[in-house]
Amino acid sequence: MTFSTGITGIQNMAPELPVQASEDLLSTPQFNLIHSFGVDLHHAESYVGKTTRMSRFERLSTDGGQLDGSGIDPAAEVPVRTDIDATMEIYAKSIVTNEQVVLWENSKTLTKFTALLGQWLREKEDLLMRDLFSSSVSYINCTGGLNGDQPSNISLNDVNNIENILLGNDARSMLTDLEATRRIGTAGVRDAFIALANTNLCADLQKVQGVLLKSAYPTQEGIRPEEYCSISRFRFFVSSKAAKTPGISLRGNTIYTIPMYGLEAAAKIEQNNYTAVIGYRPPWVVSAVAQNSQLYAKFAIARAITNQNWISGLNATTFTAS
Amino acid sequence: MAFTLVTQGTFTQPATAVNQIIPLPSGADYFVTTNLTQMATTQGTGRVVRGEWYGGGLFADNDGLRWKKTNSSSAINIDKFSTSTASNGFTYVRTYPNPEAALTGTTITAANPAVATVTNTYSEGDTVVIYNAVGMQQISGMTFTISSVSSAGFSLVGLDASAFTTPATAFSVRRVATAARVKPQFYYVTSVTHAAQAVVTLSQAHDYVVGQAIEFMVPGSFGMVQLNNYYQGQSKPVIITAVGTYTITVNLNTSGYTAFAMPASSGSPTTQLFATVAPAGQQATFNPITNVTTGYNFTSVPFRSGLFIPYMYVYSGDQSPGGSASDVIAYQAYKMETGTINGSP
Repeated sequence: MTFSTGITGIQNMAPELPVQASEDLLSTPQFNLIHSFGVDLHHAESYVGKTTRMSRFERLSTDGGQLDGSGIDPAAEVPVRTDIDATMEIYAKSIVTNEQVVLWENSKTLTKFTALLGQWLREKEDLLMRDLFSSSVSYINCTGGLNGDQPSNISLNDVNNIENILLGNDARSMLTDLEATRRIGTAGVRDAFIALANTNLCADLQKVQGVLLKSAYPTQEGIRPEEYCSISRFRFFVSSKAAKTPGISLRGNTIYTIPMYGLEAAAKIEQNNYTAVIGYRPPWVVSAVAQNSQLYAKFAIARAITNQNWISGLNATTFTAS
Repeated sequence: MAFTLVTQGTFTQPATAVNQIIPLPSGADYFVTTNLTQMATTQGTGRVVRGEWYGGGLFADNDGLRWKKTNSSSAINIDKFSTSTASNGFTYVRTYPNPEAALTGTTITAANPAVATVTNTYSEGDTVVIYNAVGMQQISGMTFTISSVSSAGFSLVGLDASAFTTPATAFSVRRVATAARVKPQFYYVTSVTHAAQAVVTLSQAHDYVVGQAIEFMVPGSFGMVQLNNYYQGQSKPVIITAVGTYTITVNLNTSGYTAFAMPASSGSPTTQLFATVAPAGQQATFNPITNVTTGYNFTSVPFRSGLFIPYMYVYSGDQSPGGSASDVIAYQAYKMETGTINGSP
């Protein structure tokens, strides 16, 4: 063992921490937020309970109705109303910050933490809507793919099958058409339903017969970055966090769930004044020596499938096991 | 740094003890159970009377500390649940559980109910997904509630397989979360009767209620496609008129419909699967004379989270923190007042 003599040189003197902060923070990863896209937005008032009811009158019967001249009326019909209820839930996240952090770190800390909380807020909301789609909707297994699994990889026949179901149930498309232009290699994209898929399916989507990749759309104006392609009457949006369940296909592979829907199929209900609450609790409120401050974010949300006939979807595996 | 009691309570095990889920609203750094029933007894095989779980990664899943009375005395031994002879302990669940590791089973009988043979540590009422069922591929990928569970197998009460051509001669099974992420959820349909009010059997014990509206999704491979909304004259949702543990009775006269039948195993993987039913609201009626509203359950019908996360999964058993039949268990959860030892809830 050797001891320092107190004489320091370049060989034994501990250097100062060799760091300096670059002028900008690096990007925080954020997944594509696709699951609130295309759902109806409703608002819940305060002081009237935490369950929101959305109601729909079912259409009247078109059977009969002809008058025979006898003066006797056709039988009256009692209208049927369907109520869709959703329970409001509040979610919150906080970050505790020691005063040393605020004191010694660069001034961006609190700003960045606030931005992180804002990002959490929208990401959490997106995942809650994803969970609604994956739990409360009926899906059909893809069978038109050639990977030999059940469900198979996605195919045009599978997509067309869902289109048949939605059209048969009088669902309305959501996205307006993109008119053809004279750009070389482009074609029009007709009005469409929405489909939400995991990014792991992108390679398979490219191979579906008749796929129109986003780059071949007649215009890129107003097209969301999350959009990937158009197949049949569906425009596909992708996210790395879209629903999947590992290990339960016939061959033990991951099953990906693809919600496909039209207008008014699902709803997100916001509590008025609770869409996004971000706050700061100063250190002297928390501790006698005023050490820890707290940043928080919270929001209230309720969610519902508002018309089960206007939403359906596919379960798929990937062509190459994933 | 104050430590706070975030929740406490008791639960009583039913005649067949089941694993318990204790929601932990703000997470937990310390969790403790006390078996109030077994504290007062002296058993020949000994009993776990107290279980402890520390956060911060000190314990693996399904572990913790067990305070165990030694055989036929009240002397206490303390060790980990994972110590030989191991028993189930605590699992702190922070995210919605993925399917557990697969088990390989040997047979599923073509009987009513179907009985699966597989060495397992599952519990009564657990939810499983069965897949790659050789000879019974029409159920591969379907979710079931299991009952009559033993270490050698379990029954699938929601599946009448007596009309199946062959039993399954091999299969894989994974345990999954008991509750869906969102309730009310969709369910798999395994049979539908021909009747003035059809009786529908589901593969899982369900929580649908009378008055609830539902919609069917029945591929052609299952026969009774008339259940699909687009075959119905007025496109009205189907209404549940009665419920059983695995069955629902609906206001549809299916007498003239094509028979419902699970497709043949040989059709996989190209046969379209599955027949399902999904929640579509409710149609309650109000009698202004009696002031009685029927057909509505305010707890079960609204869309809401199916599982509060995080939660503590407390395993049942003589040597486990959840106790055995009829035991009364007290529990408490504590947490650091600011932040958490776990870093993230």
